[in-house]
Amino acid sequence: KAMHFQRQKLMAVTEYLPPRPAIPPRCLPRQEETRQEENGYARLLRRQVEEAFRDNRMIAVCQYNYMPGEDVVMMRHYLRKHNIEVKFFLNEIVRPVLSQSKYKNLLPLFVGRNVLLVSRETKAKEMLRVLKGVPQINLLGACIDDTILSRKGVEYFARLPPLEAAQGQTVGALALLPSQTSSLLQRGSVYLTALLDQHIQRLRAAETESPAEPGPAQSSG
Amino acid sequence: PPGPGGLVIPRAGLKQYTQPPDYSGIIIPERTKLKFVDKVPSVPKVRREPRQLRDIRGPSQEATDFTQGQYGILALGGGYLHWGHFEMIRLTIGRNMDPKTMFAIWRVPPPSKPVTRKSLGHRMGGGKGPIDHYVTAVKSGRLVVEIGGHCEFGEVEAFLTQVAKKLPFPATAISRDGLEQMRKEEEEKRLNNQNPWTFERVVTGNMLGMRKYLSPYDLKLKGRYWGKFFLKHRV
Repeated sequence: KAMHFQRQKLMAVTEYLPPRPAIPPRCLPRQEETRQEENGYARLLRRQVEEAFRDNRMIAVCQYNYMPGEDVVMMRHYLRKHNIEVKFFLNEIVRPVLSQSKYKNLLPLFVGRNVLLVSRETKAKEMLRVLKGVPQINLLGACIDDTILSRKGVEYFARLPPLEAAQGQTVGALALLPSQTSSLLQRGSVYLTALLDQHIQRLRAAETESPAEPGPAQSSG
Repeated sequence: PPGPGGLVIPRAGLKQYTQPPDYSGIIIPERTKLKFVDKVPSVPKVRREPRQLRDIRGPSQEATDFTQGQYGILALGGGYLHWGHFEMIRLTIGRNMDPKTMFAIWRVPPPSKPVTRKSLGHRMGGGKGPIDHYVTAVKSGRLVVEIGGHCEFGEVEAFLTQVAKKLPFPATAISRDGLEQMRKEEEEKRLNNQNPWTFERVVTGNMLGMRKYLSPYDLKLKGRYWGKFFLKHRV
């Protein structure tokens, strides 16, 4: 039904006016949306990553290409014999954890599909042997005892003698000098005895030419 | 992010699991489908009633909130529902819902108001026509049907909007949250209106003698209703 004109005017006058802030919101800097509440699962995975980095001495990062299931199981079995565990972590969880810990330089390794091989002992030789037999996994880098090593570094590390031998070598090298001190101290008297021996021999040689004189040289010798 | 050649390599991230919805407090009654409504009430009326269009005008006082269900159809205008509408609603909803997990209830009484029609082609006069059919009056802001059960709004919204479009007045599918949201928005609009002149103020103060051109009902309706129409954009 048609409205009276006065009524139409009244309706036009009393319309809703939305509030206009002094600065329009699109001129203000963009406010970051509130972060979605953290997934408990993500938190658990992050904790696991931190634990893995804390507990283990040797951590190796490898590139993981497609491998058939049985091969994965065999590889894990071989590595498990040497007490090396194979762990899969998602990059998007590992990256923030690493960037906040001291392993910042490992960040460029965690791109693309990768596997983590962690262990308490540093058995680089056995690990390399197993990985050589599996062509689909390539070692990218490792962090052994808080030292970052590249692939070559790991190979050199593997070629090092075991710890006891290395310790023995260092002990021997260190003990070399003290072992010489006794001979150093005795050098004077040894030199004297050598000289006297030589002297005796020379006298004896002179004696054999003239055997008539035994003697007082002997007693004095 | 796209690489140097513009290629984007798809990567799988961590799967975010969502909790399934909790339907613990919902009891599904025995008769889940909508009851059949009669064309004519069991005691048909003999006396012909005057038109009384005020049962269409203004906001509704009854059936404005949800009782058992979670989703429903809200009427945004006034109108009459006759048997054809009832059948359409009943059949469409019955066809689209799952009677084992969902239930539906009428929030509108069966037709009881008689509507008379004169036969075609006759001139004016000769008394009031005989009763043609019965209708129910629906005011704006009233719920027509309610749906509930182990279902999400997304599933239900589809066929509820289908029904709502076929009703003689404007209507929408709505959930409990949606209704609350609507009311909150209206309240906010009313509070942060920058216009110092509101319809209500003009009418109650009879500014400029406006009440000469307005109806005494406009004191209650406050400019949001015009006949059977509900003016949503007004404050």
